[in-house]
Amino acid sequence: MKINTKSLIYATSLTIILATLLTIIAELSKLLKDFLASITGHHWVTKGLFALIIFIAVYFFFASSKDYKECKKEIYSVIAITIVSSLAIFLFFVWHFLSK
Amino acid sequence: MVSSLIGIHAALGEIAIFAFIWVFIELLNPSEQRIKRAKKAAVIGVILFFMSWIVGGYYYVNYYGKNVKPIIKEGPVPWAHEIFTETKEHIFLFLPFLSILTLGLIHKSGKALIKDKKTRSSILTLTFLIVLIGLAMAVMGYLISTGARAALEAKLL
Repeated sequence: MKINTKSLIYATSLTIILATLLTIIAELSKLLKDFLASITGHHWVTKGLFALIIFIAVYFFFASSKDYKECKKEIYSVIAITIVSSLAIFLFFVWHFLSK
Repeated sequence: MVSSLIGIHAALGEIAIFAFIWVFIELLNPSEQRIKRAKKAAVIGVILFFMSWIVGGYYYVNYYGKNVKPIIKEGPVPWAHEIFTETKEHIFLFLPFLSILTLGLIHKSGKALIKDKKTRSSILTLTFLIVLIGLAMAVMGYLISTGARAALEAKLL
């Protein structure tokens, strides 16, 4: 199978962004967290499956699109998204703990 | 009883980090042979991150939640769970996807990485980020274990 780096970059970026948003929103909404838990029995398992499904779906959705000739800027975008998302999750849980 | 799954999870994750350190070193000054080795190392890293995810996930859902989490939360350092377990379990989810991306980029770029320094630098930075997040996972794992130990010591003394 020929790899499409554009769809791979889109899939990774969207997976990280959506997993981060789902994590934070589910902590703020008991209703959503309970709903996630009701799907697989544990909210974290559902989040993992959700991330996997998003990654595969986004990759195949863009797989036939025209690929990048070069993608260094897009790789740095994924790096920036990962750093911001990681910090957002960490700082959210620090805030969540301190605000209890 | 201490679950051996946490040791297996940590070992798989740490070997995956080593695999990406190997990728990083191969790409510093690449040749055709080094790029082939980098691909192999990245495949190993991807497989190990997924295995670490499955083993760690099984431990987290079936053992940690029932046996370790309540002890840490009642102990002297509840933040070990409230901040670090929560952060670790969610940021970990990024690693399998970042590692697949790295493997795909190396596979697609192939020999071009020998001359294309800019793309190579970006892939090196991405690989370095995977290693850094992996090391952060190990440090957070240590802090969580410390939280459990502190709670058990507080109960015993």
